[in-house]
Amino acid sequence: MGRRTGSNDDGASDEALLSGMAVGDDRAGLTFVRRYQRRLYGLAFGIVGDAGDAEDVAQEAFIRIFRHAPVFDARRGSVATWALTITRNLAIDSIRVRRGIPTDPDDRVFLELTSNERQPDAAAAALEDVARVRSALAALPLDQRRAVVLAALYGRTATDIADGESIPLGTAKSRIRVGMAKLREAVANEDAL
Amino acid sequence: MSSPASDPKVCDLFRDDLAETALGVVSGRRRSEVLRHVESCPSCSLELEQLSTVADTMLELSGESEPPVGFELRLAQRLQSGESRRPTRRARHVSVLLAAAAVAVALGIGIGALASSGGNNTPNQAMTDITAASLSSGGHVLGEFLVSAGKPAWMYMTVDSGTWSGVVTCQVILAGGKIETVGQFTLSGGYGAWGAPLTTSAGQVRGARLVDASGTVFASARIPA
Repeated sequence: MGRRTGSNDDGASDEALLSGMAVGDDRAGLTFVRRYQRRLYGLAFGIVGDAGDAEDVAQEAFIRIFRHAPVFDARRGSVATWALTITRNLAIDSIRVRRGIPTDPDDRVFLELTSNERQPDAAAAALEDVARVRSALAALPLDQRRAVVLAALYGRTATDIADGESIPLGTAKSRIRVGMAKLREAVANEDAL
Repeated sequence: MSSPASDPKVCDLFRDDLAETALGVVSGRRRSEVLRHVESCPSCSLELEQLSTVADTMLELSGESEPPVGFELRLAQRLQSGESRRPTRRARHVSVLLAAAAVAVALGIGIGALASSGGNNTPNQAMTDITAASLSSGGHVLGEFLVSAGKPAWMYMTVDSGTWSGVVTCQVILAGGKIETVGQFTLSGGYGAWGAPLTTSAGQVRGARLVDASGTVFASARIPA
């Protein structure tokens, strides 16, 4: 699968920037913020749906990234995934406090995540994996799409989804499993071509 | 639990939970059981890797969005003020760089503009050679002052002095004690960030001070010798 690695427009890899931040290279921190602010803010806004809350979440994410840069372990995943996961978790905390998790099938997030119209960065839209997953997600039955999105972006467990939608636990687990299998298949098939 | 490599019967015990493991929504205990099996099962390991890639990619679906204007400056303030948690010394220094960069942008100092004017040292480039000092009053740190070497040299300043608003005059203290006024800027709610080119070299700068409208020096910085 094509993996999105750190942008090299500033010369250094994401991992090098974090290493630099960990040993006190101040310019590495500035470059990191410049490189990631649009992605972290974009994710935060996608989840919380409010500019002010999204900024708060993204800034808190950067604060935590600065704090934990010395303990980042590249063997456990990419910097991008780590940074985005921190942002996602903070966004989840934010909406839990403010208004809860969306479950309405017509909720903005379920529609917008599958719409290319909301992608403001043409370059990002061209990223192969993102485009494939977006397309495959749009093709999922709505109940599966909702279950996958609730788990992936809102950290909802199968039990949470079952409770929230008044369905058996086995049904919730099945929706997640089948939905994710279809997304995986779509990406894997493209890679095999 | 023993997990013979790629035994279909054993795999069936874990396969249902691979997606939830990839998504990070299984319990810690179940996650450890799944991962223990995956370590010895190439088939499930590959499936989990691919599902994890999907899960990671889901986080990118929101795409990129430009943060509101002033995002970097507000981040710098948070890092500096310790909002949320106490900033490390490293984070505080980065906050000054962010503020300085934001100031440079706010002043419209583009790399292209300086290049076209014959300059070879933009504020960002100059940050590779920066001297910083705390701006303080009566033992209390109110902000930071920094000087970046180059031609011309630049100074940047961030102030967070409480709630007072008004115009302040920034002066640099040069070698030999000479005081030179660089310019004025406004504190809003105690906060302000400002930068300007210097008419002297960075090596001549020994410190800085802020003077209010009445002529009272209310904060100063001294660059360590």
